[in-house]
Amino acid sequence: MQTLSLNHVHKSFGKVQAVKNLTLSIEEGTIFGLLGPNGAGKTTTIRMIMQIIMPDSGDIRLFEQPNSPELLEKVGYLPEERGLYGKMKVGEQILFFAELKNIAGREAEKRARQWLGRFQMTDVWDKKLEELSKGNQQKIQFIVSILHEPRLVILDEPFSGLDPVNAQLIKDIMLEMKEAGCSIIFSTHQMDQVERLCDAICLIDKGEAVLQGDLREIKRRFGRDTVILEYDGENNFFENLDYVKKVNDYGNYVEIHLTDGKRAQDLLKSALQRVQVLKFELVEPTLNEIFIRTVTQE
Amino acid sequence: MKKLLTIIKREYVTRIRTKGFIIGTILMPVFILGVTIVPAVIAVMTSEEPKSIAVIDFTQEVYDGLQRELDRTNDAGERIYLLKRMIVKPENLEPVKQNLTEEVNEDKFFGFIIIPKDVFEGNEVEFYAKNVSNFQQNEEIQNAASRVIREIRIRRAGLDTKLVEEITREVGLKTFKIGPGGEKKEERGQTFIIAYLLVFFLYMAMILYGTFVMRAVIEDKSSRVVELLVSSVNPFKLMAGKIFGVGAVGLTQFIIWALTAALIMAYSGALLGMFGLDATGKNLPIIDLDMAILAYFVLFFLLGYILYATMYAAVGAMVNAEQEAQQLVTPLIVLLIVPMIMITYIIGNPHTTISVVFSMIPFFAPMIMFTRIAVDMPPLPEILLSVAILIGSILLFIFLVAKIFRVGILMYGKRPTLPEVLRWLRQS
Repeated sequence: MQTLSLNHVHKSFGKVQAVKNLTLSIEEGTIFGLLGPNGAGKTTTIRMIMQIIMPDSGDIRLFEQPNSPELLEKVGYLPEERGLYGKMKVGEQILFFAELKNIAGREAEKRARQWLGRFQMTDVWDKKLEELSKGNQQKIQFIVSILHEPRLVILDEPFSGLDPVNAQLIKDIMLEMKEAGCSIIFSTHQMDQVERLCDAICLIDKGEAVLQGDLREIKRRFGRDTVILEYDGENNFFENLDYVKKVNDYGNYVEIHLTDGKRAQDLLKSALQRVQVLKFELVEPTLNEIFIRTVTQE
Repeated sequence: MKKLLTIIKREYVTRIRTKGFIIGTILMPVFILGVTIVPAVIAVMTSEEPKSIAVIDFTQEVYDGLQRELDRTNDAGERIYLLKRMIVKPENLEPVKQNLTEEVNEDKFFGFIIIPKDVFEGNEVEFYAKNVSNFQQNEEIQNAASRVIREIRIRRAGLDTKLVEEITREVGLKTFKIGPGGEKKEERGQTFIIAYLLVFFLYMAMILYGTFVMRAVIEDKSSRVVELLVSSVNPFKLMAGKIFGVGAVGLTQFIIWALTAALIMAYSGALLGMFGLDATGKNLPIIDLDMAILAYFVLFFLLGYILYATMYAAVGAMVNAEQEAQQLVTPLIVLLIVPMIMITYIIGNPHTTISVVFSMIPFFAPMIMFTRIAVDMPPLPEILLSVAILIGSILLFIFLVAKIFRVGILMYGKRPTLPEVLRWLRQS
């Protein structure tokens, strides 16, 4: 079943076309990476899904039904710009937002306490939100976005500001939700996270989808054209080789992009002649690299 | 509908619990208490202490009369005016005055009075004291002296004092307000005071609660909660929730104040009694309000509040911070001040063309129509027309403002210009 589908969606603000002819679909129980440079149209797309703004044309279907306010009760949203009431007590705040998603009373309170327990924050119920640390506020915001057991959650940069332990906890929860059949739209600039978590992605640039589909399939499409090389000796010996397209130097190792994967053998030969090779691996490009190539290419 | 209630509930509960609300709600009755009880208490208190006053009477005739006329005791039964006669030769006046001045400064005397010899021919009585700005006391002395001197003048002219007094007695004017049912009530300017107070309250309420609505919107916007909110409720409901939530707070506050005021009015005598004071004869402002007028007050309060709260909500949606709102709020305040400027005229002339026309303009209708109703009930069709225009404008405004609100709440950064706002209206 498709949790969400967008069909030829357009949206412009005055003369600026924020989203152009966007078509995408998300399968039930998958994590979907919504990627793109700043100002690409991700937030506009998310806002259209959340019915905060309406598309100029095209249609959006949630749970295979035309988008309507009632359906949003099964959608959770963690906006990039975090926002909760600073002066309101944590417990009341969670219950307020739960009530807006039609979960009220004892059931809401039970779930809220359970989640706070899982995040080891049982003692914050009666504290004002502004008394909590940034990271803890972030966790409350996350709880608010999933308390109503949504079938679709939109998480915009969910890990920003979290320590590794809590980031891992949220990752675990995301995977649990996925197991339970919930779909997750994951928007971030951290490509390594996307690579680890996402089943499918859509890369938006200047309002248009420039790359989308199954993540593994996309990587395969780009082919093994990248060499991870660790070596000792003459620096940058590869600089003048004509089949080296681009080099990312990470200090401990370099990532060399070849014009053609087949030339890897030539690179290895040349390396063996001039430096001591510690590691040589022919891989698919990282998502980070794919992102940069796709966005800067055109 | 349920979500609207959730928004209203949050708005209401969090606001009612703030220190600002509690302090404001308590301070107002204290203020009411202050303006009703304190003057009475002060009026009673001030007459307490006896004053010894030296009297230099060059006529030798006035002193006894003055003594008689100023024979008044305070609550403790003491004479208030302790007059002391001083026999002074005219040529010694200056040194004596010097002396007395010193004694007044040393508080041996409260003051001194000089009655010149030619006072019967029109010269004035002189009163010297450290404090001569107590009008009540000055008037008392003046009246007493006048009565005595007038009596002597009449007697000197060979006339019968009693007869002259009877002939020249002033004629009073009692005023009665005729109600629509033909009932007549004795009126001592209460209509003016009530109309003025209630309209002033309308004015305050609209600015105060309008600002609350604006702040609530700005708070949602600056804390970025709004993005989360509008992903659960549509902006129109959010706006309505803010307006009704704050409105409910205002109504709560108003009811508390009205009850307090009513209690104070009803028990003001007893309250004074608690201070050990006798209130009989003191003029406490007794307000007896017509229920119909009170009903109209609530009606125009609600309509006016919704109209202005909607506009304040739009301002809140257009700005990022309260400081930025100042400029945009000014036109609203101007709209609210116009009826305040006109109120004296409207009270005096509730049925002129200007009064009728202004009571039909939606921005002014709540205050001006209500003033007209409080002073002299206009014909029902006029009231209905005014209410209809007001409701129509409210609906139109909600429609327009909801559009501004919808776009504005998600806009951050530069404050929009007027053309931009007009574009929002066309776009959404």
